[in-house]
Amino acid sequence: MFKQNKTWLGYFAFVALVLILPLVVTKSYYISIATFAGIYTIVAVGLGLLMGYAGQISLGQAAFFGIGAYTSAVLTTQFALNPWISLVFAMLLPAVLAYIMGHTMSRLSGYYLAMATLALGIIIHAVLVEWKSVTKGASGLYGIPKIELFGFAFKQGVSYYYLTWIIAAIVILITINIIHSRVGRALRSIHGSEIAANAMGVDTGKFKMNVFIYSAALAGLAGFLFTHMNYSINPSSFGLDASIQFVTMVVLGGMTSVWGAVLGAILVQLIKIFIHTLGEHIPFVTSEFEHVIFGAILMAVIIFMPKGLFPTIASLFGKKGHRQTAAEEVQG
Amino acid sequence: MSDLLQYIITGLTTGSIYAIVALGFVTIYSVSKVINLAQGEFVMLGGMLMYSLLASGVPYLVSILLTIPIVTIMGVLLERTVIRPAKGADALSLIILTIGASIFVRGLASMIWGKSPKKVEPFTNNDPIQFAGASITPQSIWVMLVMLLVVAVLYFLVEKTVIGKGFQACSANSLAARLLGISPAKMSMFSFGLSAAIGAIAGMAISPILFPSYDMGLMLGVKGFSAAIFGGLGSSPGAVVGGLVLGLIESLGAGYISSGLKEAIAFTVVLIVLLVRPSGILGEKSVGKGGL
Repeated sequence: MFKQNKTWLGYFAFVALVLILPLVVTKSYYISIATFAGIYTIVAVGLGLLMGYAGQISLGQAAFFGIGAYTSAVLTTQFALNPWISLVFAMLLPAVLAYIMGHTMSRLSGYYLAMATLALGIIIHAVLVEWKSVTKGASGLYGIPKIELFGFAFKQGVSYYYLTWIIAAIVILITINIIHSRVGRALRSIHGSEIAANAMGVDTGKFKMNVFIYSAALAGLAGFLFTHMNYSINPSSFGLDASIQFVTMVVLGGMTSVWGAVLGAILVQLIKIFIHTLGEHIPFVTSEFEHVIFGAILMAVIIFMPKGLFPTIASLFGKKGHRQTAAEEVQG
Repeated sequence: MSDLLQYIITGLTTGSIYAIVALGFVTIYSVSKVINLAQGEFVMLGGMLMYSLLASGVPYLVSILLTIPIVTIMGVLLERTVIRPAKGADALSLIILTIGASIFVRGLASMIWGKSPKKVEPFTNNDPIQFAGASITPQSIWVMLVMLLVVAVLYFLVEKTVIGKGFQACSANSLAARLLGISPAKMSMFSFGLSAAIGAIAGMAISPILFPSYDMGLMLGVKGFSAAIFGGLGSSPGAVVGGLVLGLIESLGAGYISSGLKEAIAFTVVLIVLLVRPSGILGEKSVGKGGL
């Protein structure tokens, strides 16, 4: 009970922080980076659930992100559909693909799954580039309409920041609830030992599949938000690099907690700002320098704190923190 | 008909490179149970170092002889500084670790060599040979010969030498190997060095055809990985067959369907084959379901 209260306290503190940020930080560059952080948070929360709880790896999450983005972009530009209707398809299509992939997943696990998701990411990226009649190829789609609500158009800036983070907050809330439910306990048992979970009567295949579908739908939702934030999109945002970046967020923040994924998504954006600012002063710091930094971060995190940043920080908060993380591991 | 022959020649050339990369995967995997997605970076480094050495006036043969040990040392360094400290991490973490190493090396390479592809001179005079309506460049023949040479050397090393016996022992049961005085840690280091060396050889052989650039490694790593899984993870003959078949599918797909979609076609076929036969074409070799 105590633990539950504490979770909600943390949640409301986080929401308050998110609401206050645009009042403190007003530069439009930072606001748009913060909006991206919200979009990526949605992907990372789903991927974190898949990696940390279901113990499955997806190296192709950008495929679902890209399908969500392109579905909405194509439906709104070429079929003049209202973005709110296209949102349904932007989440449904990745979910259906994940369902089909999930059928293979019950037979593929471990390295085979890593390979299959990698392949999916590459296939979808190639299709986005080559299916020119629909996706307009490498140059991408233009003139994507804004999302409107009661006649109010969300433009890139503070209003879009709030839209994104309100949706992200809802996603975090739902995911925390999933983890605290019977489903969450079943998932942790799968991560602990799939054989034992099976023996205890947990339908492991079904749970893994459902989490995979959930993470794909979330990536689709994030893709939808990504599309309508921009005027145009092109396939370069949905390649292998993007998939790796999503994994980086989850690993950096810590995959055994929802807050870890949130922290990871925010940190990756902060690192990007840092490198960008550094690049204005030091000539050799280019966008490729980002790769060096993210590569080093991935290696360092796995070697020095395999649990990720959030659980490590949480356990640093003395005895109380220890008890909480221990309790979290037991009952989540 | 001559089109088909041409596509087959192209497919076998790129397939040979995939086969070598896949052999690198199998070499490391069988000893240390690590899937090294940075394997493609060794190929990139091989091509890039060769370019730099040639550009600074080092003779051709000396460049080749210098590139191999340099990349081998890098492979050993990777094992000692990155893989070994993470010992005991689960398979998922190890994959992420090697992806980290891969993008780290790629970032450094782009800072050292820039972003443009580099031109490397072919091994010998490269006038295409006409053959039954198709043309084949001598460099393509070299690539295939290099692949066969790598296969032969690996076979000899693993089957006929004491080190190879140690290799097999670690692969079969590393605890029992330790009891017999074979150090799995040393063998793991050795496997990384060996993989790096054959990666470098692949890089040097392919660079006159496929001009090397800083970002070729990750995709080559992914293809080598799928070739290894396609053929049956842990099996060396499987890796060679998987690599060649992957190369053939890619070049036939590029020729008859669409060159932009060649990778999508190749990976789709791999996925379908894995659905029908989850253990790969030749079946995996005593590694369990996906090694997990």
